[in-house]
Amino acid sequence: MTPVDSKPFFLWRHLNKLRWLSLSIVFFMLVLIPFLHLYQTYIAAHAYDLLYPSEKIIYDSMETLSAPFVSDPENDLDLLKGTTWSGRLFGLDLSDPLALAGQIAASGKLLWPFLLTALIPIGLTMIFGRFFCGWICPASFLYELNTTLGFWLRNIGIHTGQRRMSRKFKYLVLFVTLLLSPLLGSVAVAAIYPPAIVGREIYYAIALGGFGVGAVFFTGTLLFDLLVARRGFCRYLCPGGALYSLLGRFRLLRIQRVVEDCNDCAKCNAVCEFGLDPLRDGFGMECNNCTACIAVCPTDALVFKVTPKDQPDRGPGHLGRQYRRTHNGNARDEHEP
Amino acid sequence: MKRRAFLGYAIAGTAASLLPLTTTEATVRQGGQRYLRPPGAHKEAEFLDHCIRCGLCGETCPNRAIKFFGMENGIASLDTPYITPREQACILCMKCGDICPTGAIPKITRTAEEVMAKVNMGQARVDKTLCLSYQGKTCGVCYRACPLPDIALRVGMLEQPHVSDDCVGCGLCERSCIQIPQAIRIIPHHR
Repeated sequence: MTPVDSKPFFLWRHLNKLRWLSLSIVFFMLVLIPFLHLYQTYIAAHAYDLLYPSEKIIYDSMETLSAPFVSDPENDLDLLKGTTWSGRLFGLDLSDPLALAGQIAASGKLLWPFLLTALIPIGLTMIFGRFFCGWICPASFLYELNTTLGFWLRNIGIHTGQRRMSRKFKYLVLFVTLLLSPLLGSVAVAAIYPPAIVGREIYYAIALGGFGVGAVFFTGTLLFDLLVARRGFCRYLCPGGALYSLLGRFRLLRIQRVVEDCNDCAKCNAVCEFGLDPLRDGFGMECNNCTACIAVCPTDALVFKVTPKDQPDRGPGHLGRQYRRTHNGNARDEHEP
Repeated sequence: MKRRAFLGYAIAGTAASLLPLTTTEATVRQGGQRYLRPPGAHKEAEFLDHCIRCGLCGETCPNRAIKFFGMENGIASLDTPYITPREQACILCMKCGDICPTGAIPKITRTAEEVMAKVNMGQARVDKTLCLSYQGKTCGVCYRACPLPDIALRVGMLEQPHVSDDCVGCGLCERSCIQIPQAIRIIPHHR
């Protein structure tokens, strides 16, 4: 048996914390941007002394926050707008590839300026796979907290749904919604795609005084995750997840198992939000590179590799009990007690 | 194979039942509410299939004139932007067209010629039985509020307003009208 050539880079274990930081920053921005917009409208109206006390608090705090960065807040703050569905990030226009797909399906036309805004996300998805779902998606942030809530409920004896369905179902959802778009004469995916809904509803709640229809749908998906299947919407229904999986099918950066270091503890399978099977090298195109399995692995047997294809199942891990039983007298077992 | 056949029938059935909706009559239905689309927006059917419901136009509107539909105007209009001029009218700053990623609201430079040529949200109509100036009480508030005075809105004797075809339908006259209910209102052109 060849010894493992090198220990994995030590920071990889901490990528999951970085991911939570990324999710939190995105969510914080989605809350901050509507407040910045309100601040801009207050400036445009030249009406500081006519504001309500609560509005003055918004004005003052946003002024304090943005003053070091902008000289003319009314116009300069236009560089930071929108949501993850479509937005302007420090002057760079970015759009969700699903928005592009939905818009092409609904109108039957391809708009070049709009295509350009989706190119960077498409390119990144082809390299990193479904990373949007794990690292950026504001709905994922809430869904993962919802999963934690599910664990707490189970600890106090309340049963949560653990049903398993076919992951292929979400491709059908994607296909059907895109097909229905021209019939309905509107971009139908926008109404059922959780990150678009979350971004929109936060904006409605802050700037327009209340949640809209989407909040009801989103609450429904939270209940579905809690009562029917863990992370059920992302795993089985999300049209965006389906599109990202297809785009990231031949992604270059993949989490892979080092079979020599694996001890078959199956913690990775338990922690995987998407119900994948890292223990048996089962990553596939659904993996969102969220690194939760890397963080939980006690023997550092999960690492990032640059490869366009997954390894086939290579059997039980070499530190596992079953492997040691069948390969008795192996060189690797000599230093075991 | 059986399940696949069933799914096929299910999809075909759904599609067939939705076919009647494809007529413009149904998709461009307008409920009881009178609303304007943001300045320069395409005609209703084309607007609806271009708009991705990102909310950027509302988020960039300095006058907070742009609001968003819930279910009240039909499912096709869900989360699309609209303006109710009596509540908050469009100031024709053209920022929404500038930020719209899909061209549902085209980019228009903010000059009088460009705006008059490309913006057609609606046209103002005066109700002479309500208008103060037509009742002999000189008013002229709508004329003072008009961003295109003497082009879109002219005044005659006693400041009586006369709307011309150059009116772009921004709604600032309706917003400013001191009569309740308003004596001048925008008739939308978005169909």
